[in-house]
Amino acid sequence: MSASTDAVMAELQGRVRERVRAELVRHGASAALEDPALFADIDTMLRAAIERSQPAALLLPELLGDPSTWRLDTAIKYQTHRGAAGAPIIFVKQRVLMPLLRWFYEFNRDNFERQRRINQVLFACVQELAIEVAKQRRELQALSAQSVQRRP
Amino acid sequence: MKLAFVVQRYGADIAGGSEMHCRQLAERLSSRHDVTVLTTCARDYVTWENAYPPGTSVENGVRVQRFPVARTRNLKAFADLSDEVFDDVGSNPEREVEWFRANGPHTPALLEHVRVHGGEYDLLLFWAFRYAPTFFGVPLVSDRAVLLPTAEEDPAVDLGVLPEFFAKPAGYLFLTPEEETLVSTRAGRALGPSQIIGIGLEPERATRPARDVLERLGVPAEFVLYLGRVDRNKGCATLLEYFQEYIDGGGDTTLVLAGPATLMIPDHPRIRALGYVADDVRRALLSHARALIVPSPYESLSIVLLEAWNHATPALVNAYCKVLQGQVRRASGGLYYRSSREFQEALSWLLDNNAGRRELGEQGLAYVDREYRWPTVLERVERLLEEVSRRRSKAPA
Repeated sequence: MSASTDAVMAELQGRVRERVRAELVRHGASAALEDPALFADIDTMLRAAIERSQPAALLLPELLGDPSTWRLDTAIKYQTHRGAAGAPIIFVKQRVLMPLLRWFYEFNRDNFERQRRINQVLFACVQELAIEVAKQRRELQALSAQSVQRRP
Repeated sequence: MKLAFVVQRYGADIAGGSEMHCRQLAERLSSRHDVTVLTTCARDYVTWENAYPPGTSVENGVRVQRFPVARTRNLKAFADLSDEVFDDVGSNPEREVEWFRANGPHTPALLEHVRVHGGEYDLLLFWAFRYAPTFFGVPLVSDRAVLLPTAEEDPAVDLGVLPEFFAKPAGYLFLTPEEETLVSTRAGRALGPSQIIGIGLEPERATRPARDVLERLGVPAEFVLYLGRVDRNKGCATLLEYFQEYIDGGGDTTLVLAGPATLMIPDHPRIRALGYVADDVRRALLSHARALIVPSPYESLSIVLLEAWNHATPALVNAYCKVLQGQVRRASGGLYYRSSREFQEALSWLLDNNAGRRELGEQGLAYVDREYRWPTVLERVERLLEEVSRRRSKAPA
């Protein structure tokens, strides 16, 4: 084997992909995955989606509407509806309770961050699939139109 | 040319990447240009506490003007503000600007100097967009500002106030093509003149460092190396997990970790933690390692990767970091991984293919020779400075 990064990586990734495919099939995944070429296409499509999962490149957040109804909110905002009377409550929350609970807050925040990443990746996968379906639908419509025109 | 280099910290004892980059360029350009470094009195990048005396001094042939930090960083308030702005990027520009102020170093005298005296310099070079002197300094002198963003794909680069900021400078110096793409994408428009410069490295000495310094430390003959801060943010927790899976699967090598640790290193017969190492040990490690592993998910340029190639040592890097993957593919100087399985396959390949491994290492060295020697780097910097100056002189007053 020639020692080129791309060539070596292509072989290694192919080997890993084949091992993953075999394991998935063995554990009861869809029979469609028994086709290595199809599995390679799926793998490529999902990897591309992950590559494009940065929030600014996602459509679903735009369509979901008011962010306060769906977005994970990990920042603690110290607020009160009691006006000046609420100041002691904010003081206690900020200066007494928060230092005591900080470790627990940070533990949860790390987990929420992971969940946020998973959500973004899933959004990206849905977007990628929607793009593929839309493209195929167009191609299908074009083919149908052609076959109608060819009919005597 | 009369140049000002604006950087958050400066000094021979400061190890930060952008600070070292600034110092190395300042020391090399000061013989050709009138260079003044404008920096703070801080040494600690966490608190920004004043440590150096304010005023002007000459350090290794470079004029350095230091300004006091007016307020140390309030870590708790900064962490809370980071949560707030990264949670809701773009929704509150004032809070995002406040994030840059809180990140610091808060040095009003430095900004005042840039505002009042900026016009006396032909060009001002600013390092690291995320720090206050650069974020607030560039807009004061944007017609003569050259930005070295040192941008990584971390949440800060997505802040909503950055597109406007990234479009302001008159020129740009990038560390990698990936960084240029990242910044131009975030700016949302074509940037002004730019060069990708990386960093310069001196060729390694002809004689290979002796192994005895490693034997004294109990480093085995066959090992793979991680060099740097052993930290979760550097991807080390994942590296340790993947490496143990590799060993459990029958792998046969030792992972040597060289650098101060901020996470618990497992007590494992095949993991050897050396802590901070001296320069001679560092060179010997880089020279004798079978491969260098770089697991970091965020890098704007991996200097340690270039150093490994400088010793013709190949690398295994985290593919989720586009910069690392890009560097390795351009050099054809190593392999990369996205999962534990790929890590195991790639590491096995590197350890089992002596000829292939050496070839990748040699290709890495050839890449450093081609792209990262000082004459090449300085020539690119000069080209950019001349281009920006030329455009400035042609621009209407």
